Amino acid sequence: MLSIKNLHVSAAGKQILTGVNLEVKAGEVHAIMGPNGSGKSTLAQLLAGREGYEVTAGTATYRGKDLLALAPEERAREGVFLAFQYPVEIPGVNNVYLLKAGLNAIRKHRGQSELDAFEFLALVREKMKLMQMSETFLNRGVNEGFSGGEKKRNEILQMAVLEPALALLDETDSGLDIDALRVVAEGVNSLRSSERAIVMVTHYQRLLDYIEPDHVHVLSGGKILKSGDKSLALELEKRGYDWVKQEAAAA
Amino acid sequence: MSAIATKTAPAAERYRTLFDSRFRGQDGLTSLRRAALEHFLATGFPTQRDENWKYTNLRRLESRNFVPAEAGPVAPDESQWIANTGARIVLVNGHCMPSLSSAAPQPPGVTVVTLSRWIANQPDEVAAFLAKAAAGLPATALESLNTAFLEDGVAIEIADGVALDQPIYVIHQWTGGTASLPMSHPRIVVRAGRNSRVAIIEHYLGAHDVETFTNAVVTLDLGSGAHVHHYRLQQESLRGFHVGNARVKLDRDSRYTSHDIALGASISRVNITAQLQGQGADASLRGLFIPDGTQHLDTQTRVEHIAARTTSNEEYRGVADGKGRGVFNGKVIVQAGAQKIDSRQSSRNLLLSPTAEIDTKPELEIYANDVKCSHGATTGQLDTASLFYLRSRGISEVEARALLIRAFAESILGTIEHAPVRDYLERRLHERFARIVEAAGVSP
Repeated sequence: MLSIKNLHVSAAGKQILTGVNLEVKAGEVHAIMGPNGSGKSTLAQLLAGREGYEVTAGTATYRGKDLLALAPEERAREGVFLAFQYPVEIPGVNNVYLLKAGLNAIRKHRGQSELDAFEFLALVREKMKLMQMSETFLNRGVNEGFSGGEKKRNEILQMAVLEPALALLDETDSGLDIDALRVVAEGVNSLRSSERAIVMVTHYQRLLDYIEPDHVHVLSGGKILKSGDKSLALELEKRGYDWVKQEAAAA
Repeated sequence: MSAIATKTAPAAERYRTLFDSRFRGQDGLTSLRRAALEHFLATGFPTQRDENWKYTNLRRLESRNFVPAEAGPVAPDESQWIANTGARIVLVNGHCMPSLSSAAPQPPGVTVVTLSRWIANQPDEVAAFLAKAAAGLPATALESLNTAFLEDGVAIEIADGVALDQPIYVIHQWTGGTASLPMSHPRIVVRAGRNSRVAIIEHYLGAHDVETFTNAVVTLDLGSGAHVHHYRLQQESLRGFHVGNARVKLDRDSRYTSHDIALGASISRVNITAQLQGQGADASLRGLFIPDGTQHLDTQTRVEHIAARTTSNEEYRGVADGKGRGVFNGKVIVQAGAQKIDSRQSSRNLLLSPTAEIDTKPELEIYANDVKCSHGATTGQLDTASLFYLRSRGISEVEARALLIRAFAESILGTIEHAPVRDYLERRLHERFARIVEAAGVSP
């Protein structure tokens, strides 16, 4: 589904990614771990189309298309979704309006009919139940006045409604207490399917107790230094990241 | 001084000639007019040397040979009017048209008088009435010009304790087909009795591509405990000049709320002065100006806390595109002895193009020591993080931009209590912002 080859990216003249290689297949859940400043969030945001990065070498191919050539909204309509580390508050733009406009833009792109207000509300209500969110959130401004945990739930709610093929979760566990983490993880797990891939960027192993990855990668210094299965995450939890760096340096 | 005199002389002569050919009576109103004319001629059109006119240049207005407008043969375009309002008073090219007006059944205690009819019958009484309404307020040159040439408008009186459910809607509509360069100096006088409730809508509508000059004066006198909502919608022709003056006096515990929306005109200047004269009075001034193309839209507010324990809250938003220019100058004055004042002011502005400009200037003059006054002003562009967030959910760039601009304007429109006015403006702005972002050439 997603194939990243030798990706080099800089921002404001500073090299952030220095040759990332990653293969993600449908049905897989990947976790990208790494110390702060390793380039994890850059990778997630770049794949979703955030401006301000320069790709100096390499490619990212998504379902056979050059992902990096697409506008952010085109990526979304092709099935890419980014759950933001810091969801933006947009007073004056209604939460439910954003969801409906986004969903219908995506459905239109897929050649599906747009949902009317009733069909849409029924769908959203069902997903809100899953995320244990009160309906009062719907008619508020996008993320306006939401607590940290509410914002993260709202991200996963959006993901549940938009049903992406490739979900990128950027530090979705940060700022969540254990109950909120469980709800968010249940939301994500409910979306696991053989047609969908999930790439989680996270600093801590904690999230992986709830969302079990098939593959774990260590991103450090702008490169993936080591890949393994979920046991690698546990080892990182115990030993930190330095041994991976040393191992890579020795190789 | 001689430079000023030389510059204004031709315009002054023109206005004197116009006046002499038009107003020859011996009545009290003519005397009032003549005194106002002399004040206008002595003072002249404001220039940018005047601090209050620093950003707005009226030379183009001054150079045009505007003449008092005639009623005109062309039927107005009613599609631009707000539906579902209460009593409607329609001025076409500055002249009241009873056939287009609809005096909805008014409860007892509401008096609406057309000034032209009153002037024709009792000019001395009108003169006394106008003098009383303006008492204590030194007129500006443009207000004096209004008094000198005023021919029509409306006087509205709400008796003590009377509450109107529906607003009183005053339309000032230009049509084509009049003499070239028509001008109008309408007057609206509102007296809201003690504990009365009323909403007034002033709506200025231009005729497409016609060069016009509107110089309106509105005075609102709020008795103790009165609540007045004042909507001011300016949609003049893009070739039009618009000057609007609102003078508001607030007695004890009265409440004044204004929504001042400037969308049209080539050059527009609105002055709103609110004098909080009685304890417990509260003024909320909200406004939105959206210059586009080469429009120049200027708003000046002046809130005078004269009595103690008075409050004011101002929120103005500007959105400028193209080579549009917006100006907001909000002055708050707290007079000596006016203690326990709470005054807030916020001016936020959005620039949509590199050639657009907004000048915002909060001014505080405080002569008391126990007061709480705050102000803030920001000018910036659309937030890129918000744009990216919306687009990452599948929303096109065009729509994302339009959504964010609308959201910005909504912080003002959302506070409009009268739904037909709010809906009307939201529809107009929806269309306008869609045009703005499409014209920007952003790929859909």
